[in-house]
Amino acid sequence: MMSEIINMLVFYIGLILVFLGGILDLLAAIGMNRFKNFYLRLHAATIGAIGGGFYPLIGLGLISLTLDWMGTNRFYVAGISFTTAFFLVLTAPVGSHALAQGTHKSRIVEPEPIVVDRLREDEEKGLIEK
Amino acid sequence: MKRIRAILGLMIPLIILYIVYTGSFNLFELILGIITAIVVGYLFGDVVVEKTSKVLDPVRWFWLVIYAVFYFTVIEAKAHWEVLKLIFNPSGIKPAIVRVPYNVSTDYALTTIANSITNTPGTITVDVDEKRKYLYVHWIKAVDVSDKVAKENISALFEKYAHKIFD
Repeated sequence: MMSEIINMLVFYIGLILVFLGGILDLLAAIGMNRFKNFYLRLHAATIGAIGGGFYPLIGLGLISLTLDWMGTNRFYVAGISFTTAFFLVLTAPVGSHALAQGTHKSRIVEPEPIVVDRLREDEEKGLIEK
Repeated sequence: MKRIRAILGLMIPLIILYIVYTGSFNLFELILGIITAIVVGYLFGDVVVEKTSKVLDPVRWFWLVIYAVFYFTVIEAKAHWEVLKLIFNPSGIKPAIVRVPYNVSTDYALTTIANSITNTPGTITVDVDEKRKYLYVHWIKAVDVSDKVAKENISALFEKYAHKIFD
């Protein structure tokens, strides 16, 4: 009895996570269109990667853990979901770092509008190499 | 002895990762995982593991788990909510590239801080100055551009945990 309740709870938490991921992906796409600058769009892309990628994968793993009719296959699906989520969290920021740094160094996009740009200031002072 | 402990320090996480990934507890999978982990641990153990006493320290693993749970529930939820509000009200944005000082010594801790900053929507690490110990962070809603306040708002919490886990 107790295990059934826990099973159901985990199942619905997983469903909520998957559903939330879909909504966040949609909102990230809207944000991609509404933000008018490359750097601002990177923030919307982060929502797509973490909110729309990490959480649904965790939810998928939780759902598959509760499905008894899948037999031992459920551990297989859950394991792949969890490890993919783990590596997504490790590797997604690397792409953002590379894009942001490369764009700033090469001056392809001016980070406009901007309140203050400490990196540009320090580069002009010669404190860090360009 | 040090080398064996370095190999063990890389081997154990790799075996756990392999077993979680395959999701089966056959003897075959277990032996294959152990052999692969030994080979990888032998090749890269002393490159990946700098100090063996840190890897086999359960207190650090405990803080890692605490940090992971706290980060992916509370911190991420707050940051997502902030940026979602900005998507529907783009006039509220106030972007700035601020300087955030950090005070950790190992590369792992620095990577943890930089990745944590980038993984929260609203802040992205643009560059790092390892000599003067500064991170340059693009912040979508800069409440204050001074180094100290920026650090309190962005990375003070990450640094506290990164210090406990990796330093």
